[in-house]
Amino acid sequence: MSENRIGIFVGTIAVTVMVFLILPQLILLVQSFTAEDYLSFPPKHFGLRWYAFIFGDETWQRALFTSLLIAVLVTPLAVILGTAAAIGLDRGPMRLRKAMRTALVSPMVLPHVVLGMAIYRVFLPLRFDDTLAGFLVAHLVLCVPYVIVTVGASLQAMDRSLEQAAMSLGASLPVALWRVVLPLVRPGVIAGAVFAFITSFDEFIVTYFLASRQTTAPIQIFSSLSYQLEPSIAAVSGLTLVVTAALCGLLILRGSMAGTAQVA
Amino acid sequence: MASDASLPSSLADPRGKWMSLKNLGRQGFSRLGWWGLLAPAMALYALVFFMPLGVLVGESVHPSGAPQLSLANYAAFFTDGVTFSIFARTVRLAFFVTLTCLVFGYPLALFMRRAGPVLRLVALTIVVSPLLTSVIVRNVAWLLVLGREGMVNTLLRQAGLIDAPLPLLYNTFGVVVGVTHVYLAFLVLPVFSSLLAIDPSVEQAASSLGASRFTVFRKVTVPLSLPGVIAGSTLVFVLTMGVYLTPVIMGGSFVTTLPMVMTDLVRTQFDWSRAAAFAIVLLAFIAVVMVASSRAERRIERMRGEL
Repeated sequence: MSENRIGIFVGTIAVTVMVFLILPQLILLVQSFTAEDYLSFPPKHFGLRWYAFIFGDETWQRALFTSLLIAVLVTPLAVILGTAAAIGLDRGPMRLRKAMRTALVSPMVLPHVVLGMAIYRVFLPLRFDDTLAGFLVAHLVLCVPYVIVTVGASLQAMDRSLEQAAMSLGASLPVALWRVVLPLVRPGVIAGAVFAFITSFDEFIVTYFLASRQTTAPIQIFSSLSYQLEPSIAAVSGLTLVVTAALCGLLILRGSMAGTAQVA
Repeated sequence: MASDASLPSSLADPRGKWMSLKNLGRQGFSRLGWWGLLAPAMALYALVFFMPLGVLVGESVHPSGAPQLSLANYAAFFTDGVTFSIFARTVRLAFFVTLTCLVFGYPLALFMRRAGPVLRLVALTIVVSPLLTSVIVRNVAWLLVLGREGMVNTLLRQAGLIDAPLPLLYNTFGVVVGVTHVYLAFLVLPVFSSLLAIDPSVEQAASSLGASRFTVFRKVTVPLSLPGVIAGSTLVFVLTMGVYLTPVIMGGSFVTTLPMVMTDLVRTQFDWSRAAAFAIVLLAFIAVVMVASSRAERRIERMRGEL
Protein backbone atom coordinates (compact mmCIF):
# COMPACT_ATOMS: atom_id res chain seq x y z
CA MET A 1 0.00 0.00 0.00
CA SER A 2 2.62 2.54 1.05
CA GLU A 3 4.75 1.39 -1.88
CA ASN A 4 2.07 2.62 -4.23
CA ARG A 5 1.75 5.88 -2.40
CA ILE A 6 5.47 6.63 -2.83
CA GLY A 7 5.20 5.87 -6.53
CA ILE A 8 2.17 8.15 -6.90
CA PHE A 9 3.93 10.90 -4.93
CA VAL A 10 7.04 10.75 -7.13
CA GLY A 11 4.94 10.54 -10.28
CA THR A 12 2.85 13.56 -9.26
CA ILE A 13 5.92 15.71 -8.63
CA ALA A 14 7.51 14.52 -11.87
CA VAL A 15 4.45 15.36 -13.95
CA THR A 16 4.09 18.75 -12.22
CA VAL A 17 7.73 19.56 -12.95
CA MET A 18 7.35 18.55 -16.58
CA VAL A 19 4.30 20.80 -16.90
CA PHE A 20 6.32 23.59 -15.26
CA LEU A 21 9.04 23.06 -17.87
CA ILE A 22 6.84 23.26 -20.97
CA LEU A 23 3.79 25.29 -19.96
CA PRO A 24 5.34 28.79 -20.28
CA GLN A 25 6.49 28.10 -23.84
CA LEU A 26 3.02 26.82 -24.76
CA ILE A 27 1.35 29.90 -23.25
CA LEU A 28 3.76 32.09 -25.18
CA LEU A 29 2.99 30.30 -28.40
CA VAL A 30 -0.79 30.65 -27.89
CA GLN A 31 -0.52 34.32 -26.97
CA SER A 32 1.71 35.12 -29.93
CA PHE A 33 -1.24 34.40 -32.22
CA THR A 34 -3.35 37.11 -30.66
CA ALA A 35 -5.09 39.48 -33.06
CA GLU A 36 -5.62 42.13 -30.39
CA ASP A 37 -3.67 45.32 -29.72
CA TYR A 38 -2.45 44.17 -26.33
CA LEU A 39 -1.41 40.89 -24.80
CA SER A 40 -4.07 39.49 -22.51
CA PHE A 41 -4.88 36.06 -21.23
CA PRO A 42 -6.65 34.35 -22.85
CA PRO A 43 -6.65 36.18 -26.21
CA LYS A 44 -10.17 36.68 -27.55
CA HIS A 45 -9.27 36.74 -31.24
CA PHE A 46 -6.57 34.76 -32.97
CA GLY A 47 -4.74 35.52 -36.16
CA LEU A 48 -1.36 35.99 -37.80
CA ARG A 49 -1.51 39.75 -37.35
CA TRP A 50 1.68 40.14 -35.31
CA TYR A 51 3.65 37.64 -37.34
CA ALA A 52 2.76 39.69 -40.40
CA PHE A 53 3.83 42.77 -38.48
CA ILE A 54 7.33 41.51 -37.62
CA PHE A 55 7.93 40.32 -41.17
CA GLY A 56 7.00 43.77 -42.45
CA ASP A 57 8.89 45.74 -39.82
CA GLU A 58 12.38 46.79 -40.82
CA THR A 59 13.91 46.69 -37.33
CA TRP A 60 12.74 43.15 -36.62
CA GLN A 61 13.62 42.03 -40.13
CA ARG A 62 17.17 43.25 -39.75
CA ALA A 63 17.59 41.76 -36.27
CA LEU A 64 16.25 38.36 -37.33
CA PHE A 65 18.32 38.36 -40.50
CA THR A 66 21.52 39.19 -38.59
CA SER A 67 20.88 36.42 -36.06
CA LEU A 68 20.13 33.91 -38.79
CA LEU A 69 23.17 34.91 -40.85
CA ILE A 70 25.55 34.58 -37.91
CA ALA A 71 24.09 31.25 -36.83
CA VAL A 72 24.26 29.86 -40.38
CA LEU A 73 27.92 30.89 -40.67
CA VAL A 74 28.94 29.82 -37.17
CA THR A 75 27.38 26.35 -37.28
CA PRO A 76 29.57 24.72 -39.98
CA LEU A 77 32.72 26.37 -38.60
CA ALA A 78 31.93 25.21 -35.07
CA VAL A 79 31.18 21.68 -36.32
CA ILE A 80 34.49 21.47 -38.18
CA LEU A 81 36.62 22.89 -35.35
CA GLY A 82 34.74 20.98 -32.64
CA THR A 83 34.69 17.62 -34.41
CA ALA A 84 38.40 17.83 -35.24
CA ALA A 85 39.20 18.81 -31.66
CA ALA A 86 37.03 16.02 -30.21
CA ILE A 87 38.80 13.40 -32.33
CA GLY A 88 42.18 14.90 -31.47
CA LEU A 89 41.29 14.84 -27.77
CA ASP A 90 40.12 11.25 -27.97
CA ARG A 91 43.36 9.99 -29.52
CA GLY A 92 45.91 12.51 -28.36
CA PRO A 93 48.56 11.95 -25.72
CA MET A 94 47.09 10.55 -22.52
CA ARG A 95 48.86 12.92 -20.15
CA LEU A 96 47.55 16.15 -21.62
CA ARG A 97 44.11 14.85 -22.51
CA LYS A 98 42.32 15.74 -19.30
CA ALA A 99 43.77 19.24 -18.99
CA MET A 100 43.05 20.01 -22.62
CA ARG A 101 39.50 18.75 -22.39
CA THR A 102 38.88 20.93 -19.35
CA ALA A 103 40.30 23.92 -21.21
CA LEU A 104 38.24 23.24 -24.31
CA VAL A 105 34.87 22.87 -22.55
CA SER A 106 35.47 25.67 -20.02
CA PRO A 107 33.53 28.34 -22.00
CA MET A 108 30.41 26.37 -21.01
CA VAL A 109 30.81 26.98 -17.27
CA LEU A 110 32.60 30.31 -17.29
CA PRO A 111 30.04 33.06 -16.66
CA HIS A 112 29.30 34.54 -20.06
CA VAL A 113 29.19 38.01 -18.54
CA VAL A 114 32.88 37.68 -17.76
CA LEU A 115 33.65 36.31 -21.19
CA GLY A 116 31.62 39.08 -22.84
CA MET A 117 33.50 41.75 -20.91
CA ALA A 118 36.85 40.20 -21.72
CA ILE A 119 36.16 39.82 -25.44
CA TYR A 120 34.74 43.34 -25.61
CA ARG A 121 37.90 44.67 -23.93
CA VAL A 122 40.09 43.04 -26.58
CA PHE A 123 37.88 43.84 -29.58
CA LEU A 124 37.26 47.49 -28.68
CA PRO A 125 40.71 48.92 -29.54
CA LEU A 126 40.75 46.80 -32.71
CA ARG A 127 37.40 48.32 -33.82
CA PHE A 128 36.20 44.75 -34.05
CA ASP A 129 33.41 45.10 -31.47
CA ASP A 130 30.34 46.19 -33.41
CA THR A 131 30.99 44.05 -36.50
CA LEU A 132 29.42 40.85 -37.77
CA ALA A 133 32.86 39.25 -37.96
CA GLY A 134 33.38 40.08 -34.30
CA PHE A 135 30.04 38.50 -33.35
CA LEU A 136 30.93 35.47 -35.42
CA VAL A 137 34.27 34.84 -33.76
CA ALA A 138 32.81 35.38 -30.29
CA HIS A 139 29.90 33.02 -30.98
CA LEU A 140 32.29 30.44 -32.33
CA VAL A 141 34.13 30.13 -29.01
CA LEU A 142 30.77 29.64 -27.27
CA CYS A 143 29.54 27.00 -29.74
CA VAL A 144 32.64 24.82 -30.20
CA PRO A 145 32.44 23.30 -26.67
CA TYR A 146 28.98 21.87 -27.39
CA VAL A 147 30.25 20.12 -30.50
CA ILE A 148 33.26 18.79 -28.58
CA VAL A 149 30.97 17.33 -25.91
CA THR A 150 28.41 15.73 -28.24
CA VAL A 151 30.99 14.33 -30.67
CA GLY A 152 33.14 13.23 -27.72
CA ALA A 153 30.17 11.24 -26.37
CA SER A 154 29.67 9.55 -29.74
CA LEU A 155 33.38 8.72 -29.95
CA GLN A 156 33.26 7.05 -26.55
CA ALA A 157 30.38 4.88 -27.69
CA MET A 158 32.15 4.00 -30.95
CA ASP A 159 33.74 0.62 -31.44
CA ARG A 160 37.39 1.48 -31.87
CA SER A 161 38.20 -1.86 -33.54
CA LEU A 162 36.37 -0.78 -36.72
CA GLU A 163 38.87 2.00 -37.21
CA GLN A 164 41.79 -0.29 -36.43
CA ALA A 165 40.43 -2.78 -38.94
CA ALA A 166 40.32 -0.08 -41.62
CA MET A 167 43.89 0.94 -40.87
CA SER A 168 45.21 -2.59 -40.76
CA LEU A 169 43.61 -3.11 -44.18
CA GLY A 170 45.75 -0.26 -45.45
CA ALA A 171 43.63 2.85 -44.97
CA SER A 172 45.68 5.89 -44.10
CA LEU A 173 44.72 7.90 -41.06
CA PRO A 174 42.80 10.63 -42.92
CA VAL A 175 40.92 7.99 -44.94
CA ALA A 176 40.07 6.02 -41.81
CA LEU A 177 38.81 9.19 -40.12
CA TRP A 178 36.75 10.29 -43.10
CA ARG A 179 35.26 6.97 -44.17
CA VAL A 180 34.96 5.12 -40.87
CA VAL A 181 35.06 7.43 -37.84
CA LEU A 182 32.98 10.33 -39.15
CA PRO A 183 30.00 8.23 -40.31
CA LEU A 184 29.99 6.46 -36.95
CA VAL A 185 29.91 9.66 -34.90
CA ARG A 186 27.29 11.32 -37.09
CA PRO A 187 24.61 11.47 -34.34
CA GLY A 188 27.04 13.44 -32.19
CA VAL A 189 27.91 15.73 -35.09
CA ILE A 190 24.22 16.42 -35.79
CA ALA A 191 23.46 17.09 -32.12
CA GLY A 192 26.51 19.36 -31.96
CA ALA A 193 25.40 21.27 -35.06
CA VAL A 194 21.91 21.82 -33.63
CA PHE A 195 23.38 23.01 -30.33
CA ALA A 196 25.81 25.31 -32.11
CA PHE A 197 23.05 26.82 -34.25
CA ILE A 198 20.74 27.39 -31.30
CA THR A 199 23.51 28.71 -29.04
CA SER A 200 24.49 31.27 -31.64
CA PHE A 201 20.93 32.20 -32.59
CA ASP A 202 19.96 32.75 -28.94
CA GLU A 203 23.21 34.24 -27.67
CA PHE A 204 22.57 37.37 -25.65
CA ILE A 205 25.14 38.61 -23.17
CA VAL A 206 28.39 38.45 -25.15
CA THR A 207 26.70 40.06 -28.16
CA TYR A 208 25.14 42.62 -25.82
CA PHE A 209 28.61 43.79 -24.80
CA LEU A 210 29.87 43.88 -28.38
CA ALA A 211 26.86 45.47 -30.06
CA SER A 212 26.18 49.15 -30.26
CA ARG A 213 24.50 49.78 -33.62
CA GLN A 214 24.14 46.21 -34.85
CA THR A 215 21.33 44.19 -33.35
CA THR A 216 20.41 40.54 -33.20
CA ALA A 217 16.98 39.12 -32.41
CA PRO A 218 17.64 38.51 -28.67
CA ILE A 219 19.08 42.02 -28.27
CA GLN A 220 16.15 43.57 -30.08
CA ILE A 221 13.74 41.62 -27.85
CA PHE A 222 15.64 42.82 -24.79
CA SER A 223 15.62 46.47 -25.79
CA SER A 224 11.93 46.34 -26.78
CA LEU A 225 11.10 44.85 -23.38
CA SER A 226 12.22 48.03 -21.64
CA TYR A 227 9.22 49.86 -23.16
CA GLN A 228 6.36 47.44 -22.94
CA LEU A 229 5.62 43.78 -23.41
CA GLU A 230 4.04 44.05 -26.84
CA PRO A 231 2.46 41.35 -29.00
CA SER A 232 5.28 41.81 -31.52
CA ILE A 233 7.77 40.55 -28.90
CA ALA A 234 5.59 37.50 -28.30
CA ALA A 235 5.47 36.89 -32.07
CA VAL A 236 9.27 37.07 -32.47
CA SER A 237 9.70 34.83 -29.45
CA GLY A 238 7.11 32.44 -30.85
CA LEU A 239 8.97 32.34 -34.14
CA THR A 240 12.25 31.56 -32.37
CA LEU A 241 10.47 28.86 -30.41
CA VAL A 242 9.07 27.21 -33.53
CA VAL A 243 12.49 27.20 -35.22
CA THR A 244 14.19 25.62 -32.20
CA ALA A 245 11.35 23.15 -31.66
CA ALA A 246 11.71 22.04 -35.27
CA LEU A 247 15.43 21.48 -34.71
CA CYS A 248 14.67 19.51 -31.52
CA GLY A 249 12.26 17.37 -33.51
CA LEU A 250 15.03 16.68 -35.97
CA LEU A 251 17.27 15.55 -33.10
CA ILE A 252 14.66 13.11 -31.79
CA LEU A 253 13.98 11.74 -35.26
CA ARG A 254 17.68 11.20 -35.87
CA GLY A 255 18.00 9.49 -32.49
CA SER A 256 20.52 12.01 -31.25
CA MET A 257 18.67 12.91 -28.07
CA ALA A 258 20.90 10.70 -25.93
CA GLY A 259 23.95 12.54 -27.22
CA THR A 260 22.20 15.78 -26.43
CA ALA A 261 21.74 14.75 -22.82
CA GLN A 262 25.52 14.42 -22.56
CA VAL A 263 25.88 18.16 -22.82
CA ALA A 264 24.72 18.71 -19.28
CA MET B 1 46.18 -2.52 -22.92
CA ALA B 2 46.93 -0.23 -25.80
CA SER B 3 46.34 3.32 -24.66
CA ASP B 4 46.63 4.60 -28.18
CA ALA B 5 44.48 2.03 -29.85
CA SER B 6 44.59 3.68 -33.24
CA LEU B 7 48.15 2.49 -33.72
CA PRO B 8 48.87 -0.91 -35.24
CA SER B 9 49.25 -3.51 -32.51
CA SER B 10 52.98 -3.87 -33.13
CA LEU B 11 53.45 -0.39 -31.70
CA ALA B 12 51.73 -1.27 -28.48
CA ASP B 13 54.64 -3.60 -27.83
CA PRO B 14 56.43 -2.49 -24.64
CA ARG B 15 59.69 -2.70 -26.55
CA GLY B 16 58.17 -0.20 -28.96
CA LYS B 17 61.31 1.91 -29.16
CA TRP B 18 62.88 -0.83 -31.27
CA MET B 19 60.15 -0.65 -33.88
CA SER B 20 60.95 -0.44 -37.56
CA LEU B 21 61.64 2.82 -39.31
CA LYS B 22 58.43 2.56 -41.29
CA ASN B 23 56.36 2.28 -38.15
CA LEU B 24 58.24 5.17 -36.58
CA GLY B 25 57.27 7.35 -39.52
CA ARG B 26 53.71 6.24 -39.18
CA GLN B 27 53.55 7.01 -35.49
CA GLY B 28 55.15 10.39 -36.09
CA PHE B 29 52.50 11.18 -38.64
CA SER B 30 49.66 10.17 -36.38
CA ARG B 31 51.07 12.21 -33.49
CA LEU B 32 51.23 15.21 -35.76
CA GLY B 33 47.76 14.37 -37.03
CA TRP B 34 46.21 14.51 -33.55
CA TRP B 35 47.90 17.81 -32.81
CA GLY B 36 46.80 19.12 -36.18
CA LEU B 37 43.22 18.23 -35.33
CA LEU B 38 43.38 20.12 -32.04
CA ALA B 39 45.32 23.11 -33.33
CA PRO B 40 42.51 25.14 -34.99
CA ALA B 41 40.30 25.02 -31.89
CA MET B 42 43.28 25.80 -29.67
CA ALA B 43 44.22 28.81 -31.79
CA LEU B 44 40.66 30.12 -31.60
CA TYR B 45 40.59 29.67 -27.83
CA ALA B 46 43.98 31.33 -27.41
CA LEU B 47 42.80 34.44 -29.24
CA VAL B 48 39.17 34.75 -28.13
CA PHE B 49 39.21 33.05 -24.74
CA PHE B 50 42.52 32.86 -22.91
CA MET B 51 44.03 36.09 -24.18
CA PRO B 52 40.96 38.21 -23.30
CA LEU B 53 40.84 36.64 -19.84
CA GLY B 54 44.53 37.44 -19.41
CA VAL B 55 43.91 41.03 -20.45
CA LEU B 56 41.12 41.18 -17.89
CA VAL B 57 43.48 40.03 -15.13
CA GLY B 58 46.02 42.66 -16.18
CA GLU B 59 43.33 45.32 -16.23
CA SER B 60 42.14 44.43 -12.74
CA VAL B 61 45.47 45.27 -11.07
CA HIS B 62 45.91 48.63 -12.81
CA PRO B 63 43.16 50.85 -11.39
CA SER B 64 42.15 53.50 -13.93
CA GLY B 65 45.08 52.74 -16.18
CA ALA B 66 47.76 53.56 -13.62
CA PRO B 67 51.13 51.98 -14.52
CA GLN B 68 51.88 50.60 -11.05
CA LEU B 69 50.31 47.46 -9.68
CA SER B 70 47.60 47.88 -7.11
CA LEU B 71 45.06 45.66 -5.44
CA ALA B 72 42.78 48.60 -4.70
CA ASN B 73 40.01 47.18 -6.88
CA TYR B 74 40.10 43.90 -5.04
CA ALA B 75 39.98 45.74 -1.73
CA ALA B 76 36.99 47.68 -3.03
CA PHE B 77 35.10 44.44 -3.56
CA PHE B 78 35.10 43.84 0.19
CA THR B 79 35.10 47.37 1.53
CA ASP B 80 32.99 49.57 -0.74
CA GLY B 81 29.97 48.63 1.32
CA VAL B 82 27.77 47.56 -1.61
CA THR B 83 29.56 44.98 -3.73
CA PHE B 84 30.16 42.42 -1.04
CA SER B 85 26.55 42.47 0.09
CA ILE B 86 25.40 42.06 -3.54
CA PHE B 87 27.82 39.16 -3.85
CA ALA B 88 26.35 37.63 -0.69
CA ARG B 89 22.85 38.05 -2.11
CA THR B 90 23.95 36.41 -5.36
CA VAL B 91 25.28 33.46 -3.35
CA ARG B 92 21.93 33.30 -1.53
CA LEU B 93 20.03 33.35 -4.82
CA ALA B 94 22.26 30.58 -6.20
CA PHE B 95 21.62 28.59 -3.04
CA PHE B 96 17.82 28.99 -3.33
CA VAL B 97 17.88 28.01 -6.99
CA THR B 98 20.04 24.94 -6.31
CA LEU B 99 17.74 23.85 -3.50
CA THR B 100 14.64 24.32 -5.66
CA CYS B 101 16.22 22.37 -8.51
CA LEU B 102 17.11 19.56 -6.11
CA VAL B 103 13.65 19.36 -4.53
CA PHE B 104 11.88 19.24 -7.90
CA GLY B 105 14.58 17.67 -10.04
CA TYR B 106 15.40 14.62 -7.94
CA PRO B 107 11.88 13.13 -8.05
CA LEU B 108 11.79 13.77 -11.79
CA ALA B 109 15.08 11.89 -12.21
CA LEU B 110 13.66 9.02 -10.09
CA PHE B 111 10.57 8.96 -12.26
CA MET B 112 12.68 8.87 -15.43
CA ARG B 113 14.68 5.96 -14.07
CA ARG B 114 11.56 3.88 -13.48
CA ALA B 115 9.76 4.90 -16.66
CA GLY B 116 9.56 2.63 -19.70
CA PRO B 117 11.51 3.49 -22.84
CA VAL B 118 8.81 5.63 -24.49
CA LEU B 119 7.90 7.59 -21.38
CA ARG B 120 11.59 8.03 -20.67
CA LEU B 121 12.23 9.53 -24.10
CA VAL B 122 9.26 11.88 -23.64
CA ALA B 123 10.54 12.97 -20.21
CA LEU B 124 14.09 13.34 -21.50
CA THR B 125 12.84 15.50 -24.37
CA ILE B 126 10.86 17.70 -22.01
CA VAL B 127 13.85 18.05 -19.68
CA VAL B 128 16.30 18.85 -22.47
CA SER B 129 13.98 21.08 -24.52
CA PRO B 130 14.45 24.17 -22.31
CA LEU B 131 18.21 23.89 -22.92
CA LEU B 132 17.42 24.30 -26.59
CA THR B 133 15.10 27.27 -26.08
CA SER B 134 16.41 30.78 -25.89
CA VAL B 135 16.71 32.13 -22.34
CA ILE B 136 15.17 35.45 -23.31
CA VAL B 137 12.22 33.71 -24.97
CA ARG B 138 11.62 31.69 -21.82
CA ASN B 139 11.78 34.85 -19.73
CA VAL B 140 9.23 36.53 -21.99
CA ALA B 141 7.04 33.44 -21.59
CA TRP B 142 7.26 33.74 -17.80
CA LEU B 143 6.30 37.40 -17.98
CA LEU B 144 3.10 36.24 -19.70
CA VAL B 145 2.47 33.58 -17.05
CA LEU B 146 3.37 35.49 -13.88
CA GLY B 147 2.68 39.12 -14.78
CA ARG B 148 -0.07 41.27 -13.26
CA GLU B 149 -2.36 40.48 -16.17
CA GLY B 150 -0.70 37.11 -16.69
CA MET B 151 -2.20 33.66 -16.78
CA VAL B 152 -1.85 32.79 -13.09
CA ASN B 153 -3.30 36.05 -11.78
CA THR B 154 -6.14 36.03 -14.34
CA LEU B 155 -7.13 32.47 -13.53
CA LEU B 156 -6.97 33.04 -9.77
CA ARG B 157 -9.05 36.19 -10.09
CA GLN B 158 -11.63 34.48 -12.27
CA ALA B 159 -11.85 31.68 -9.73
CA GLY B 160 -12.51 34.33 -7.10
CA LEU B 161 -9.52 33.32 -5.00
CA ILE B 162 -7.81 36.71 -5.03
CA ASP B 163 -8.95 40.32 -5.36
CA ALA B 164 -5.66 42.01 -6.20
CA PRO B 165 -2.97 40.42 -8.43
CA LEU B 166 -0.28 38.51 -6.53
CA PRO B 167 3.26 39.94 -6.77
CA LEU B 168 4.81 37.03 -8.66
CA LEU B 169 7.35 39.03 -10.63
CA TYR B 170 10.04 41.60 -9.86
CA ASN B 171 11.07 39.89 -6.61
CA THR B 172 13.27 37.00 -5.52
CA PHE B 173 10.43 34.53 -6.10
CA GLY B 174 10.12 35.49 -9.76
CA VAL B 175 13.87 35.26 -10.30
CA VAL B 176 14.11 31.85 -8.58
CA VAL B 177 11.28 30.53 -10.77
CA GLY B 178 12.91 31.88 -13.92
CA VAL B 179 16.43 30.66 -13.16
CA THR B 180 15.18 27.26 -11.97
CA HIS B 181 13.35 26.88 -15.26
CA VAL B 182 16.55 27.65 -17.14
CA TYR B 183 18.90 25.39 -15.18
CA LEU B 184 16.77 22.47 -13.94
CA ALA B 185 18.02 20.20 -16.73
CA PHE B 186 21.61 20.64 -15.54
CA LEU B 187 20.59 18.99 -12.28
CA VAL B 188 18.18 16.35 -13.59
CA LEU B 189 20.53 14.88 -16.19
CA PRO B 190 23.55 14.11 -13.92
CA VAL B 191 21.23 12.76 -11.20
CA PHE B 192 19.41 10.63 -13.77
CA SER B 193 22.66 9.17 -15.10
CA SER B 194 23.95 8.33 -11.63
CA LEU B 195 20.58 6.72 -10.77
CA LEU B 196 20.82 4.65 -13.95
CA ALA B 197 24.24 3.44 -12.88
CA ILE B 198 22.84 1.90 -9.69
CA ASP B 199 22.59 -1.86 -9.90
CA PRO B 200 18.93 -2.72 -9.08
CA SER B 201 20.05 -5.94 -7.38
CA VAL B 202 21.63 -3.87 -4.59
CA GLU B 203 18.23 -2.36 -3.82
CA GLN B 204 16.55 -5.74 -4.18
CA ALA B 205 19.03 -7.19 -1.70
CA ALA B 206 18.20 -4.47 0.81
CA SER B 207 14.47 -5.00 0.48
CA SER B 208 14.74 -8.80 0.62
CA LEU B 209 16.57 -8.31 3.92
CA GLY B 210 13.45 -6.59 5.19
CA ALA B 211 14.04 -2.90 4.52
CA SER B 212 10.91 -0.94 3.65
CA ARG B 213 10.84 0.84 0.32
CA PHE B 214 11.46 4.18 1.99
CA THR B 215 14.41 2.78 3.94
CA VAL B 216 15.86 1.35 0.74
CA PHE B 217 15.48 4.75 -0.85
CA ARG B 218 17.06 6.57 2.08
CA LYS B 219 19.89 4.15 2.79
CA VAL B 220 20.71 2.76 -0.63
CA THR B 221 19.37 4.84 -3.53
CA VAL B 222 20.16 8.31 -2.20
CA PRO B 223 23.74 7.56 -1.09
CA LEU B 224 24.50 5.82 -4.38
CA SER B 225 23.18 8.76 -6.38
CA LEU B 226 25.23 11.33 -4.45
CA PRO B 227 27.90 11.81 -7.12
CA GLY B 228 25.22 12.93 -9.59
CA VAL B 229 23.57 15.11 -6.96
CA ILE B 230 26.87 16.83 -6.17
CA ALA B 231 27.80 17.28 -9.83
CA GLY B 232 24.37 18.64 -10.78
CA SER B 233 24.02 20.93 -7.76
CA THR B 234 27.48 22.38 -8.36
CA LEU B 235 26.68 23.06 -11.98
CA VAL B 236 23.40 24.82 -11.13
CA PHE B 237 25.02 26.81 -8.32
CA VAL B 238 27.94 27.94 -10.46
CA LEU B 239 25.75 28.83 -13.44
CA THR B 240 23.40 30.85 -11.24
CA MET B 241 26.34 32.83 -9.84
CA GLY B 242 26.93 34.13 -13.36
CA VAL B 243 23.33 34.82 -14.30
CA TYR B 244 22.49 38.20 -15.81
CA LEU B 245 19.49 38.17 -18.11
CA THR B 246 16.83 36.48 -15.96
CA PRO B 247 17.27 38.73 -12.89
CA VAL B 248 17.19 41.79 -15.13
CA ILE B 249 13.97 40.75 -16.86
CA MET B 250 12.14 38.90 -14.09
CA GLY B 251 13.59 40.78 -11.13
CA GLY B 252 13.16 44.27 -12.48
CA SER B 253 15.42 46.55 -10.50
CA PHE B 254 14.56 44.75 -7.27
CA VAL B 255 17.01 41.88 -7.50
CA THR B 256 20.66 42.70 -8.14
CA THR B 257 23.33 40.12 -8.88
CA LEU B 258 27.08 40.52 -9.13
CA PRO B 259 27.09 40.07 -12.94
CA MET B 260 24.58 42.96 -13.16
CA VAL B 261 26.97 45.17 -11.19
CA MET B 262 29.86 44.23 -13.48
CA THR B 263 27.85 44.89 -16.63
CA ASP B 264 26.75 48.25 -15.29
CA LEU B 265 30.35 49.21 -14.43
CA VAL B 266 31.48 48.47 -17.98
CA ARG B 267 28.55 49.74 -20.01
CA THR B 268 27.55 52.87 -18.16
CA GLN B 269 30.50 53.86 -15.95
CA PHE B 270 33.34 52.60 -18.17
CA ASP B 271 35.16 51.49 -15.01
CA TRP B 272 36.90 48.57 -16.66
CA SER B 273 39.45 47.82 -14.04
CA ARG B 274 36.97 47.60 -11.19
CA ALA B 275 34.63 45.41 -13.24
CA ALA B 276 37.60 43.23 -14.16
CA ALA B 277 38.60 42.79 -10.53
CA PHE B 278 35.04 41.81 -9.59
CA ALA B 279 35.01 39.34 -12.48
CA ILE B 280 38.22 37.76 -11.25
CA VAL B 281 36.84 37.44 -7.72
CA LEU B 282 33.73 35.76 -9.15
CA LEU B 283 35.86 33.36 -11.20
CA ALA B 284 38.01 32.54 -8.17
CA PHE B 285 34.91 31.83 -6.09
CA ILE B 286 33.51 29.57 -8.81
CA ALA B 287 36.84 27.76 -9.10
CA VAL B 288 36.92 27.13 -5.34
CA VAL B 289 33.36 25.75 -5.41
CA MET B 290 34.16 23.45 -8.32
CA VAL B 291 37.37 22.14 -6.80
CA ALA B 292 35.63 21.50 -3.47
CA SER B 293 32.82 19.66 -5.23
CA SER B 294 35.09 17.44 -7.28
CA ARG B 295 37.05 16.63 -4.10
CA ALA B 296 33.81 15.64 -2.39
CA GLU B 297 32.85 13.50 -5.36
CA ARG B 298 36.19 11.72 -5.38
CA ARG B 299 35.97 11.16 -1.63
CA ILE B 300 32.62 9.45 -2.05
CA GLU B 301 34.00 7.28 -4.83
CA ARG B 302 36.91 6.28 -2.60
CA MET B 303 34.66 5.42 0.34
CA ARG B 304 32.67 3.23 -2.00
CA GLY B 305 35.85 1.52 -3.11
CA GLU B 306 36.65 0.62 0.49
CA LEU B 307 33.25 -0.92 1.16
